[in-house]
Amino acid sequence: MITTPDLIDSLAKGAAPVRRLRPPLVRAAGWLAFAASILALVIVAHGLRPDLAASLQTTAFAINFGAALATGVLAAIAAFVVGVPGRSSAWLLLPVPTLAVWMLNIGYGCVTAWVDLPAGLKLGDEASCFALLVVTGVPLSLVMLIMLRHAALIAPTQVTIMGGLAVAALTAVGLSLFHNHEASALVLLWNLGIAALLVAAGGLAGRRMFSWVAPR
Amino acid sequence: MPSSPAHSGPSLSLVKDGPAPSDRTLDWSVFMARAQAGDREAYRRLLEEIAPYIRSLAVRQVQNRADLEDAVQDVLLTVHAVRHTYDPMRPFGPWLVAIANRRIVDALRRRGRAGAREAPLETEHETFAAPETNYHEAASDGRALREAVDGLPPGQGRAIRLLKLEEMSLKEAARTSGMSVAALKVATHRALKNLRKMLIAGKQKT
Repeated sequence: MITTPDLIDSLAKGAAPVRRLRPPLVRAAGWLAFAASILALVIVAHGLRPDLAASLQTTAFAINFGAALATGVLAAIAAFVVGVPGRSSAWLLLPVPTLAVWMLNIGYGCVTAWVDLPAGLKLGDEASCFALLVVTGVPLSLVMLIMLRHAALIAPTQVTIMGGLAVAALTAVGLSLFHNHEASALVLLWNLGIAALLVAAGGLAGRRMFSWVAPR
Repeated sequence: MPSSPAHSGPSLSLVKDGPAPSDRTLDWSVFMARAQAGDREAYRRLLEEIAPYIRSLAVRQVQNRADLEDAVQDVLLTVHAVRHTYDPMRPFGPWLVAIANRRIVDALRRRGRAGAREAPLETEHETFAAPETNYHEAASDGRALREAVDGLPPGQGRAIRLLKLEEMSLKEAARTSGMSVAALKVATHRALKNLRKMLIAGKQKT
């Protein structure tokens, strides 16, 4: 085993200048800009849902949309702040209020729309839905993972949970932009399911995902 | 392990005897800012000064000496790996303590896992204190050989027993057995041939 003075010696000799990380808010803004550009690309390729303007008039949809968007933005900020050592973990609470509003709205939608589920949501719709989720979710997750790879040694679980929440919320926003069905209970549940899945996967596999981008 | 006396400048003794480490964090912040810009001397001083402080944090949780030093080195390596995340506008103490606590807890977890899976090999895992009782293979080999020798014709068996198992010289064996030296040599030669045949056959049977 190398002795500590020797280790210090070798570390000091090999200390190249490093570029300081930008403030977490700036980095979060960068990631959010990337997310916006991904969503814009999908809009160009896929087109907005035709009834978006009308849907935004309905309260339930507007609340759902706004709460998901806010949750995504705040969770992204929390992920970037908590990824820096020594920052208070109270930042993890940042997206909780909007998340609560979002979830309550979904729950409310489920209860009220339960009886008039659209009779036939075809499998084809589900598949295109899923493809959209993958197309937006995968690049967002990868870029966040790489941007936050230094957190692997410091707070892997908290950061992946926040990152998963941010990606899930923003893909949900994307989905409600494209999906040309009513905001039915089924679609809302689908959103919720994906969000829970991403967050759970982040919590369980965060350590492993990080060891993949930042091997030690 | 004591911190390296070879490098201990006035600053190190300051940390040890003088003000608490928290009073040093302002200097550490400056050192780190310079280290980020590539100042190796500042970086060396920083690492030398924080090492005893990290040790004092780790010693609360890790008692074993080798593990303690492992934990300190793990923290130093992590500080090195994430030194670009330090923002000189913010205090250095919480940054360092967050890294140190995280790594020390991780090390404890790793050790806990290893402890749950591994058991030290100790003497009571042997059946008896006498070493030959634990060599099952050797014991059974010996028995097979003795049985094979018993199966030899009497003259050959006696020759083998005297010359090989009791390790007598030819002359001694001739005196003990009353056989001539030449007869002993012939008997031994034949006995070895027979033994080889018997032992190989025995091995193929099992």
